[in-house]
Amino acid sequence: MGSNQALDIKNKEFMLIGGLLIIVAGLMAFFPSLNDSDTTVDWISLPLVGFPIIVSCILLAFASQESRARKEIIAVPIRLFTLVASLIPLAISTALFFDWLILVDWDLMYNEYALEKEYVWIETIGVSWHVGMDGLSFPMVWLTTFLVPITIITTWDEKDGATYHPLLLMMGGALIGVFVALDLFLFYVFWELTLIPMFFLILKWGGKDRRYAAQKFFIYTFCASVIMLLGLITLYFLQPEGSGAQYGTVTGRTFDMTVLFSNATAYNMGDNVFLGEDMQNILFAMLMIGFLVKLPAVPFHTWLPDAHVQAPTGGSMLLAGVMLKMGAYGMLRIPIAIFPDAVVYYQDVIMAIGLISLVWGAIVCLGQTNLKKMVAYSSVSHMGVILLGIASMQPIGYAAALFMMFAHGIISPMLFAVCGAFKHHYHSMEIGAMRGMAKWSPYLAVYMMFAWMASLGLPLLAGFVAELMVMIAFWPEYGWWILLPGAVLAITAAYYLWSMQRTIFEGGDEGQPPESLNGETPPDITLSENIGMIILAIFTVIFGIFPFIALGMMDQWTVAFFEGVFNLGGI
Amino acid sequence: MSEHGGDGFDLPIVEVFSTDFWKAFAPETILICGLLMIFIIPNLGNSKFRIPLTKVRVPWFLGGRRFKLTGSPAIPGILATGTLFTALGMMVIEAIDGKMDTTTVVSGDIIILQMDNFSRFFEILFLAAVLLASMASLDRIPAHTFEGKKSLEEMYDNRRQADFYILMLTTAIGMCIVALAQDLFVLFVGLELASLATYVLVGFHKESKAGAESGVKYFIVGSVASGVGLYGLSLLYLEFGSLQLHTIAANWADSTILGTLALGLVLVGFGFKVSAAPFHFAAPDAYAGANSPVAGVLATASKAMGMIGLIRVLLVIALPEAGADESAIWLYTLATLSVITMTWGNVAALGSTNPKRMLAYSSVAHAGYMLAALTAVGAWKWGEVEAPGDYAEAIVAAVLFHLFVLVAFKLGAFLVLGLLEMEGGASRLSALSGLARRDPLIGTAMFIFMLALAGVPPLAGFMSKFLVIAGIVSTSVGELWMNGTVSFSDIHWVWWLALAMFINSAISVFYYLRIGVVMFLDVPEEGRRKPLPYGASIRMAIWICLVATILLGLSGDTLIDMCYRAADSLNLA
Repeated sequence: MGSNQALDIKNKEFMLIGGLLIIVAGLMAFFPSLNDSDTTVDWISLPLVGFPIIVSCILLAFASQESRARKEIIAVPIRLFTLVASLIPLAISTALFFDWLILVDWDLMYNEYALEKEYVWIETIGVSWHVGMDGLSFPMVWLTTFLVPITIITTWDEKDGATYHPLLLMMGGALIGVFVALDLFLFYVFWELTLIPMFFLILKWGGKDRRYAAQKFFIYTFCASVIMLLGLITLYFLQPEGSGAQYGTVTGRTFDMTVLFSNATAYNMGDNVFLGEDMQNILFAMLMIGFLVKLPAVPFHTWLPDAHVQAPTGGSMLLAGVMLKMGAYGMLRIPIAIFPDAVVYYQDVIMAIGLISLVWGAIVCLGQTNLKKMVAYSSVSHMGVILLGIASMQPIGYAAALFMMFAHGIISPMLFAVCGAFKHHYHSMEIGAMRGMAKWSPYLAVYMMFAWMASLGLPLLAGFVAELMVMIAFWPEYGWWILLPGAVLAITAAYYLWSMQRTIFEGGDEGQPPESLNGETPPDITLSENIGMIILAIFTVIFGIFPFIALGMMDQWTVAFFEGVFNLGGI
Repeated sequence: MSEHGGDGFDLPIVEVFSTDFWKAFAPETILICGLLMIFIIPNLGNSKFRIPLTKVRVPWFLGGRRFKLTGSPAIPGILATGTLFTALGMMVIEAIDGKMDTTTVVSGDIIILQMDNFSRFFEILFLAAVLLASMASLDRIPAHTFEGKKSLEEMYDNRRQADFYILMLTTAIGMCIVALAQDLFVLFVGLELASLATYVLVGFHKESKAGAESGVKYFIVGSVASGVGLYGLSLLYLEFGSLQLHTIAANWADSTILGTLALGLVLVGFGFKVSAAPFHFAAPDAYAGANSPVAGVLATASKAMGMIGLIRVLLVIALPEAGADESAIWLYTLATLSVITMTWGNVAALGSTNPKRMLAYSSVAHAGYMLAALTAVGAWKWGEVEAPGDYAEAIVAAVLFHLFVLVAFKLGAFLVLGLLEMEGGASRLSALSGLARRDPLIGTAMFIFMLALAGVPPLAGFMSKFLVIAGIVSTSVGELWMNGTVSFSDIHWVWWLALAMFINSAISVFYYLRIGVVMFLDVPEEGRRKPLPYGASIRMAIWICLVATILLGLSGDTLIDMCYRAADSLNLA
């Protein structure tokens, strides 16, 4: 009797929390707008950011109250509901791209944003809920909205789905928040918010060392971001005082990125620079540390292999697909835009870090016996390519970096989906342990081959375009150094082909199933995995053959960015 | 009546115990009435008083056979909670619109108390903390009202209901006096009133060894600290001939080394209360031995009380206008102490496996953060930084905000431990094992409190740490932007305190996260498999803390405004 009563009361508590969340959602909808005359529909705040987070919070509060047996029962409807909920942002972001909902003007100058909305948040210190999208953020937003349903479909059979899938949805909402935020404070809030669902994904669904991996992931990135935050606060107080709706009533400064950018541009254009040279360099370095750890670049990359190897498939897919790009996105969005002189100052350092990441990641890959760890290190290597694009200081290099972010965001989830399928059906990820997989799992073999080829940069697939563009940008700036990344691409081909050849083909007519299967015949992948991977494969081909679908927008942004920031219009 | 404000505007000045006095201090009066009621109501009975030399017996009602209704052991708790709630409500309604008058209470020429935004702010903080703690205590130290045979523990619990809540209310009243005091002696009386009550509260569970031990330890260390502080006060009196805050502040610039020494001794007393290194050694023992709601009051309200002392003594009295070189030593001492305190607290918390000790050390670390903020105010006031007065105000407001939101998440964390104590001890990390599985909402609440303590956005803990650091950075940067290009060497050294704070909060994530990992990953230990005991009011208190933690993080504008008004009434600039 006692436990029954307790259950009833707990349900009341759940209703309390659900009610509160609804109230918060209501408040969000009626945030006082900064600009009263602006009556256009807000397509970003609630539909893209608020909706996934609120829905997942309610689902989590609901599911966590149930007993283990009931959880199994409600897992299916919750999964379906999560999937539908994740398709809504995808539909909206796709519609925004094709102008189905409203006519969006994507033809933007530097520091102009489409669908911009601004609401008062914390008046005293000049924080506003300011969101908007441009050519830098929109591809990332679309990518996130695209990957969340794909991830949910691919990992349909994950245990404890009643809480697992809502966490993926929440992760998606927080990631979109990072990309659309146009306020430094808001940006930081979402930046840290992404850690929490990821922490739980690793902690509850991870492998054997998940406790270590989850804590390392959280602490590593948190440390880096507090240094970044100190940089942001120092920057905040170094900006000139002003007055206006965006400025804090008490501090007289603002966290609004657009105001900050236009101030910085105005200063940098004139003879006087925004802040002294050493101040610029120090702040730039402080901000970059936060982003380089997230990227991750080589001296700071050690959290990534642990996190990836321990994370569940869905977590890895989102982590590699979108979360790493937060680092590159943040770099382009904040420090590079504000301190162009510091970019010139640090150009060689960034190039060196990029090259080291590229080379080191590739060499470490050669020695890996764990499939997932190899893929994780290959991510480090590919993120080095993005840094090379940035260090090239060429518009085409920046466009290449953007396209690399996008292409890697489609290819790497597929790599991890393949790894996840291995784990799921073969209970092992040791490269040497299984041979002749093509016999039992032809579908998996095909997807593996496809993903591996895409990742090593086969022409006509998305990855190739980005790598080619980076090489083109690299040449005029660094000349024959280009042989180094060129050689690394060969190494990449080596480890990918080697691992593929051993797992798929070797082993004679009968093959050699891994011992972890205990003599059972390994099955092929499930329907849901099939669906998820084929969609990823289709889009890899689409963006490989028609890169301009995404590249057009990125190009435009790059040109505007160079005009606005470097004042050059292309070197 | 003499004009003590000195600014020329008309402050309402009332004589102590006059009609206006009672009007202005209605909430505090309610507290005292509540205290008297707890004394009287449980003792109402059918006793009669025989008028001498006659046979007439007049009903006297005090003593004899207690009435069933008023004699119920649940009455003191309800009375205390109701009293606190009423007083708190009155204060909040008064303070939230910001139209509160400043009222000064004098006795002859001596200013005793002053009710302004600053003191009201702290009173609200104290009452909120004590109210939440006493709500939780309704379940934590329950009154057993059912009929029939009771066990020895239950009888104990029933017998000490009145004592417990009398002590709680006394603590609240003492703290309110500290907030209101304008005279160091009055401040000290309030401090001792609250301290003596908390010494007893810490050792309240005298049948358990840990409780008695921690009570004695806390009492001995605390009374030594008070003694040193009192000695400092006597030296101050020797130097200035008065303990009035405004007199000492006015004459501080001319003081000799004796004044500086005396101030240092006074600071020892307050340093103990905020548990700053090296006076923090008793805190972990006291928190670990006390029952959790009381430990929560120590970590929040008692710390805020010490902070009032530090603000009054350091910011109002010492650290004078620019150019007084003797004061520089305070700045460096304070900066060093703050870094030592935050680092010591965090490093010690890394190694402690008792969640209550861990929270105690984290509380030490938080004291370090606030000392760093005070250093920054000092740097501003000492004239090292070119900045207008609102910079200092911003930092003080940030400290106040931090102290206030600590009530939400630190007390909340202690209350969750209190809920665990209801089914057994909470002094091992394993007591929390699998909490998220046993009771997902309580587990999530605890995790959110931990994240708030670590300073993860968008929770209140992030907001407060953010404001404190922003305050420090703003002081270090000052108005440098006016000079055109800014070089890194132009920035004042207090900027490094902000960096130290950030590195420390990065360290602290480790032990806060460990609690989360234990709650979500580990299997519950033997004997803790059943659902948590249900306590309506302790859960309600936890929910209030949780909602406050989230809401104050999402939109703290009202509270920030309140903090600014409070800091403004200190007249720092």
